[in-house]
Amino acid sequence: MRRAWRWVIAIAVAGWLPVFFIAWWWHASANSKNPYFPPLSKIWTEFKANWIFTLVPVHVVPSLINLFVGFAIAIVLGIGAGTLLGASRTGARYTEPLIDFIRSIPPVALVPIFILLLGLDAKMRIASIAFSATFPILLATIEGVRHTNPVLLETAQTFRLTNQQILWRVRVPYAKPTIFAGLQVGLQIAFVVTIASEYLGSGFGLGAFTLNATDSFLIVDAWTGVILLGVLGYALSLVFDAVERVSLRWYYGQKKLA
Amino acid sequence: MKSAVSRIPAGVVTTVVALLVWQLVGSFGPLHGDSFASASQAITGLSSLARQSDFWSAVAQTVEIAAIGFGISVLIAVPLGVVIGLSRFAYRSTKFTFDFFKVIPPIVIIPIAILAIGPTLEMGIFLVVFANIFSVAIQTAYGVRDTDPVLLETMKCYRMGTWSQIRYARLPAAASQISVALRLAASASLIVAVVASLIGGAPGLGQLLGLLENAGKTSQAYGVVLFLGIIGLLVSRAIVLAQRRMVFWSGK
Repeated sequence: MRRAWRWVIAIAVAGWLPVFFIAWWWHASANSKNPYFPPLSKIWTEFKANWIFTLVPVHVVPSLINLFVGFAIAIVLGIGAGTLLGASRTGARYTEPLIDFIRSIPPVALVPIFILLLGLDAKMRIASIAFSATFPILLATIEGVRHTNPVLLETAQTFRLTNQQILWRVRVPYAKPTIFAGLQVGLQIAFVVTIASEYLGSGFGLGAFTLNATDSFLIVDAWTGVILLGVLGYALSLVFDAVERVSLRWYYGQKKLA
Repeated sequence: MKSAVSRIPAGVVTTVVALLVWQLVGSFGPLHGDSFASASQAITGLSSLARQSDFWSAVAQTVEIAAIGFGISVLIAVPLGVVIGLSRFAYRSTKFTFDFFKVIPPIVIIPIAILAIGPTLEMGIFLVVFANIFSVAIQTAYGVRDTDPVLLETMKCYRMGTWSQIRYARLPAAASQISVALRLAASASLIVAVVASLIGGAPGLGQLLGLLENAGKTSQAYGVVLFLGIIGLLVSRAIVLAQRRMVFWSGK
């Protein structure tokens, strides 16, 4: 009973501000004559008409497919190459300057390069997403595999594990928390590049829908697109946090003990 | 023989090899053609741009958007974070809302920003502020809340007021958190300035890149991207150096 109360209070404390904000927006925009800030009630009606769920298969599904395919390629490349480079001191020393440089290019600036190379279709979108998202994952994996707790390594050597065994059973598993930090950045970049590739390579996709609506002065539609993109971005980060929590349960357990 | 090669810094070797491979791929590989620029073409493209004043004014505009946006974010977010961090109620009430806006990339709100502000310098600055303000405020608040409670109790015993507590206990405790947040914000500012200009049509290097791409000026477009990588690298190195000087006690 007391526990339930604590939950209610926690939710009330965390939730009053967004509720207040939405109520204020609804009220303040109710009679809005400003064309750029239409009444929230109108946006909501249009939102229901567009996204529950008439246009979802046309615009949302292709965006999400590109995002996930691109991100999956980035995970395989990043963790694969990162493990190999992290295991070899020379390999990492010679590749890191290049990786550092490519990572310093704003990911969205690479989209025009991929448009020049591959045109405007899904292939270009997936390639730009995969390429940009690979580098944070790659760097995090190299970092994680290289810096294993020395006590663990010495223990493994005492038990005469071979170098291969040490890599796969000690270095890689214990690099997981670092790799997850890279994956998180990679996912954010993948999301941004998904939208950017749609803004720049007009046509289908939620980003393209939203920017087209802006260009044609369909302002209510543009608002619904922006709100849906925002909700999607937040939902992605929630899903990622949940996956991370489950995969790294041992790590958080250790941290609590320490 | 081996020692002679290994005495050359790794960065130099990598750069030379990477440029050579890039050059070969661009000249002979399946990518050879109008849609791909080799290393020498990209460098030629960049040097031809560097002789035009348009290019340098685009550089200045991008830097201006990033710098002003960053400055405004810091001026708003750090004091806001301190205030939020002082009260448990304020921290818990804002946490969800700020986390929500923190994870939304500014590219999402570009369509609305174009409508409400127009494709201008101010829009770019607005996007940079939007990108940074929530994460810097949250980190600051978190750092402020993390102050050693014994230290605070001691200060209370000596009847030191709220101001001296902030000045001598809370801000120093939060400094390393704040400096990490600012480092991330500074590199994000440059990226967002480019995005605002490439997609939102604000003046700057992004807009120039879009124009070059549309005109099919491949080697110059590659030149701009090369330039962006170089400044990105310089900025992140400069930030690391600045951080070491300012928060020298944190050991990071």
